Amino acid sequence: MQNNTSQATSFIIIDTPLKLKLADILIIILASYLCFWLYSHFLFTSDSQGKANRVLIQINHKAPLEYPLNQNKILSIHGDKGLSLIEIKQGKARFIHSPCRNQFCVFHGWLSAPEETSACLPNRVSITLKGSLNTFDAIAGEQ
Amino acid sequence: MKQQFISTQEDHKIALLAALAITIHIFESAIPSPLPGIKPGLANVVTLFAFIQYGWQSALQISLLRVIISSLLLGTFLSPTFLLSLSGALLSLFAITLVQLPFYLHWPQKVLKLLSLSSTPTNQQAYQPSAIGYAIIASISHMAGQFFMAWYFFIPHPGLFKLLPILITFAVILGIVSGIITQFLINQYQQSSDL
Repeated sequence: MQNNTSQATSFIIIDTPLKLKLADILIIILASYLCFWLYSHFLFTSDSQGKANRVLIQINHKAPLEYPLNQNKILSIHGDKGLSLIEIKQGKARFIHSPCRNQFCVFHGWLSAPEETSACLPNRVSITLKGSLNTFDAIAGEQ
Repeated sequence: MKQQFISTQEDHKIALLAALAITIHIFESAIPSPLPGIKPGLANVVTLFAFIQYGWQSALQISLLRVIISSLLLGTFLSPTFLLSLSGALLSLFAITLVQLPFYLHWPQKVLKLLSLSSTPTNQQAYQPSAIGYAIIASISHMAGQFFMAWYFFIPHPGLFKLLPILITFAVILGIVSGIITQFLINQYQQSSDL
């Protein structure tokens, strides 16, 4: 038993009261690598997601209206509370006016990537950009 | 016919640790979190302690008891919160058991023997990660289990994946913290049991 414990100490790298071992160091390295990979793969990707080519506008849970994004146009949408103005400009879309109090949808700014969503909840209007179907990756899948 | 139930020392241990885990879980649910899904996970310290000291069977009993009883007490039994908690607990336990498996099968010793580096048999504790390593794996897999449960059943929107890196980063940090706590607990326990 005494021999075993002396063998065990030879694999301890940092001999503090915490005793960080070789396997711990490996796990910490792998975990930080996983973090970096996730950041580079999910958060800081701009071009790999593809371009959005149409916008879906949903009003009060009705079937969404679909508009292509390759145009310059200002749509006026009658929602629950009043008039929402939605601007479409060459691959981007945004709210430019909304009757609600918080104006979250207007401050959200331009939407350009597929699956980006902006919504005015009081007015019950939401816009979602959609890319072509082949820009979905294996994880996202089709909905 | 009179039925007799004889409780063993092992049952007492599990009941004690499960009660401790439930208490911590309920206290922890009162702490507000900055982001949905981020929790200190201090209740997993108890599960991890049981896993390292008594093996995965005891840890499984304790974590199942903790999830079910604390959800009954908090009033979230069979709700989405309960399902997320259960999937996270089961996946984290599965992951750490999977990590421990090679050490129980003496794979490091066999590899070293093949490379003729070491021929003296050592105990399996020598190569195993400490509580910190297990805690990191447990918290990452707990978060991953919860996340995929949430994504698959409740919010199937690809935008949810933008939250995944942040959640996993917090899981690693909080896993290290809970691992340090567990290691201190185990050191204390082993010192006190040596006496």
